[in-house]
Amino acid sequence: MSATEPAVVRQGEPESVKQGLDDIAQHVPSPGTGRGARSAGRGIARAFGYLVLIVAAIGLLIPFFWTISSALKPANDVFTVPVQWLPQTWKFDNFIDVWTKVDLLTWFRNTLLLAVVVTILQVLTGSLAAYGFARMKFRGRDALFIGYIATIAVPWQSYMITQFILVSKMGLANTLWAIILLQAFSAFGVFLMKQYYETIPEELSEAARIDGLSEYGIWRRIMLPLSTPAIASLVLLTFVTVWNDYLGPLIYLRNPDLWTIQLGLQTLVSNQFEADYGLMFAGLVVSMIPIAIVFVAGQKYFIEGIATSGMKG
Amino acid sequence: MTAIATDASVSSMPPAHRRGSKLRRRNTLIGWSFILPNFLGFALLTLIPVLALFYLGFTNWNIFGTAKWTGLANFQRLIGDTTFHTALINTFYYALIHIPLSFVAALGLALLLNTKIRGAAFFRTAAFFPYITSIVAIAVVWNLLFSPQYGPINEFLRFIGIANPPGWLQSQEWAMPATAIVSTWRDMGYYMILFLAGLQAVPRELHEAARMDGAGVWQRFWNVTMPCLRPTTFFVTVMLTINSFKVFDLILVMTGGGPGNATLVLSQFIYNQGFEQNNFGYASAASIVLFFICLLVTIGQFLINKKRSA
Amino acid sequence: MYRKITMAAAVTAVAALALAGCSGTSTTTPSATLDNSPVKLTMSAWNLAATPTNEFKALADAFTAEHPNVTIELKDYDAAKYPTLVTADLAAGTATDLITIKTVVDVVPWAEGGQLADVSDVKIGDGVKGGASYNVDGKQYAIPYRLDGNVIYYNKDLFKAAGVADPDGTWTWDDYVAAAEKLKTGLAAAGSKALPAYQHGWNTLTQNFATVQTGNDVLKGDFSYMKPYYERTLKMQADGLQLPLATVTANKTTYQAQFGKQSAAMEIMGTWYVSTLVAQQAKGDADKFAWGIAPAPQKDAAATKAPVTFGDPTGIAINAKLEGNKLAAAKAFLAFIESEKGASKLAAMAITPAFINDAVTAAYFGLAGVPTDDLSKKAWSGQKILPQNLPNAKQPVANTALVAMHSAILTGSGDIDKAIADAQAQFKNSAG
Repeated sequence: MSATEPAVVRQGEPESVKQGLDDIAQHVPSPGTGRGARSAGRGIARAFGYLVLIVAAIGLLIPFFWTISSALKPANDVFTVPVQWLPQTWKFDNFIDVWTKVDLLTWFRNTLLLAVVVTILQVLTGSLAAYGFARMKFRGRDALFIGYIATIAVPWQSYMITQFILVSKMGLANTLWAIILLQAFSAFGVFLMKQYYETIPEELSEAARIDGLSEYGIWRRIMLPLSTPAIASLVLLTFVTVWNDYLGPLIYLRNPDLWTIQLGLQTLVSNQFEADYGLMFAGLVVSMIPIAIVFVAGQKYFIEGIATSGMKG
Repeated sequence: MTAIATDASVSSMPPAHRRGSKLRRRNTLIGWSFILPNFLGFALLTLIPVLALFYLGFTNWNIFGTAKWTGLANFQRLIGDTTFHTALINTFYYALIHIPLSFVAALGLALLLNTKIRGAAFFRTAAFFPYITSIVAIAVVWNLLFSPQYGPINEFLRFIGIANPPGWLQSQEWAMPATAIVSTWRDMGYYMILFLAGLQAVPRELHEAARMDGAGVWQRFWNVTMPCLRPTTFFVTVMLTINSFKVFDLILVMTGGGPGNATLVLSQFIYNQGFEQNNFGYASAASIVLFFICLLVTIGQFLINKKRSA
Repeated sequence: MYRKITMAAAVTAVAALALAGCSGTSTTTPSATLDNSPVKLTMSAWNLAATPTNEFKALADAFTAEHPNVTIELKDYDAAKYPTLVTADLAAGTATDLITIKTVVDVVPWAEGGQLADVSDVKIGDGVKGGASYNVDGKQYAIPYRLDGNVIYYNKDLFKAAGVADPDGTWTWDDYVAAAEKLKTGLAAAGSKALPAYQHGWNTLTQNFATVQTGNDVLKGDFSYMKPYYERTLKMQADGLQLPLATVTANKTTYQAQFGKQSAAMEIMGTWYVSTLVAQQAKGDADKFAWGIAPAPQKDAAATKAPVTFGDPTGIAINAKLEGNKLAAAKAFLAFIESEKGASKLAAMAITPAFINDAVTAAYFGLAGVPTDDLSKKAWSGQKILPQNLPNAKQPVANTALVAMHSAILTGSGDIDKAIADAQAQFKNSAG
């Protein structure tokens, strides 16, 4: 810690804690240049803050820890009284068996294909429709929009059979298309993008219109680039939803060649006579890796919004 | 609101103003061209089955036979069905705890983690982890934490002097609050993501200006952050409401609806009626009720949102 | 109990009368109409990927060996959601030709929905048990091939270590509790951490014993006769003789681990667990110890002479769309699965068939790892197995109420009388 006075103190804000709150209230990255120049009190406060966060992180990650631990146990040691936090017999084989004994690679491939295709379609059609709802004025727009949202409120279980009959009549049951169609056009993405578009100043579009840009041009050149954080969060949430969906693939994908990870792993334990929970949890741990990658790679996009830099004036 | 008002005035205008109506038609066409790609898929796979559900709610359909129109019989039966009442009350109870808790937790996390401080990336990931962790693992671990005799939660409560801490998931009074807490813990990372995205749209310049004017942290939060965040807040509130009223999986794995019917919620009631007791018409009617509850709440939120942003 | 037996008997009699025309005595009659042209049938099954050797394949292969022109192709379903998936397939018209009936309660909606063929002309052979479970309004809609009743599994090593006498086939429920108490002190003295007993979380394990052993019928809507059975279960929980239901639910304990890893000295479970336990002991997933099975505890000493337990059959039905040669082939298959040949195939895989005679018994107990003492044999085939579920639309309604009642009583959050009253009200309210 050098003795240089922090910029904030010069501005008349004495408390380091307050600076922390400022960062929070401001939602801006704290200036990197100030990092080496902080007072000792600031350091202590920060250390305390980290301590709290570490305790919180443990609270958030315990079930995940238990999942990993269970993945290293023989089937009959997973659910015990009392709960075993660490395996009594370590069974590393589960992580090998999950690749060799069951067809995890096929499930992985199917799930990845579904997640990528659905995510692309959802973001594309969702952001298009969102522009229509947010920026185009036409009769019945609000009613249509509320109708869109309201269908989210109908539990899927209550119309899943009629939907299945419909998709079967279209000849798409037991194909990956069924899941793509089911997931790609959800009202969720439209809603998310529309709400974000409303935060982008109308003046930007007006200026572009005067410059002769068409509505499609405005969507493509202005709205899309400015909504990176929303797109990033939609990508993440859609990807995770498709990746972890169980009931949809269960109803539609009967052929083992088409199974997704969640469906395949669930079959390992759905028969009570030979439920291999250790193997299933090993599979679950493996299946979380791609999500973690997407999350870590994607989070900088919804943290460093380009939106702010685009909105001068 | 403004859009509707304009429409009305335009349509009543004399032919001399045809240019305006042509523009309006053009606008409608362009508007629909944006919506159509999504709407086609949505209409085919979601809207049609949902509309069918609205018809089936007035019939005695059991999947295989023909659906016989029974008018309001299903709804009359719902009025007298005590199990449905239990499920309805439980669902409201759950929503009442889960919505505000999750909202505050998610917004708090987003504000806290919307920085470049070293480690924030890790905690953002950690906060999202409960959402992607297997619900079986969640159920086992939280059941342990809530264990009435040996659980750390009750040990702590006894330590701070509460002689008879609640039985949590094993008591009919506390099972629902306990489930709602776990559910909040699981969902807050999800809604945090949405808030984080929304926070990026809050112009930094506004904060700077407010600070120059001498606004404190709270003042800036209420007068700068929250107004700019309104579209996101609306989105999160609506999604939270709908998802709370539809809650199913987590409760099923954690308590199975028990003890007794203490955590029986509407979605489980609908599932039981449909898939276990084969009353799909009746289940559809219950879904319609759930739909209208969510619709009313959503319209309410929509109107409040419009009024505020006007 | 007697009332129910008479009812079942009456139903069977009516069915028999209805098809008086087409009964041979001992053969697979319908194959008479089956010609020799190639037939391909599809059949619904579950967990094929996880279990390469399974009962479905065994039955299909054995049948094809007898009728080379008929091939049966298995279609895999998820075991846990099997009824939902088959319902969806039936609704969409994409279901298989042969439909395995996993849970008895599915027969009523599928039969009444016109999805299942009437197979009353496939005669249910003498000694084939469980057929009445598929009889809806006097018509037979499926043929059973396996029927597992509930028995006591007991760990002979732990009993010996605790100095407690093995079950002898004369146990009442009071004897069962007394043995558990002796085991508790004996096991503690021997330094074992095992509990005397384990009761899995299913509501049936308290309720259905009460129902079948006191001759009651849940569909009448009076559940008060279950009270003594609940008092006993509560006492066992309170005295630390078995894990409380709260712990069973919270820790998601499995009956395989509780008995197989010697956490409990005895456990009441269906005979399906025999093959799992044998396999797990061979693989090392379960501890190696001597064990046996015994008839379920009875309500009083007199009843132990003819022990009564409960269980539901697994059977196969035929899609109503089938006709001609396909239908004939399907009926021939149904006749095969209940026959001695089919039963022997199953018994040789440690599955308990619906038809048992000496040859089948020999095939079963000839397997390595299956306990061969006389009491185990008596438990396997000498109990009267009354239905767990009746083929009645009200059964699932009752089940929903009964599941809630079970957790309400055993988690200790409500008193028995109130929970029973609530469940009765719920049943009455829903069943109309």
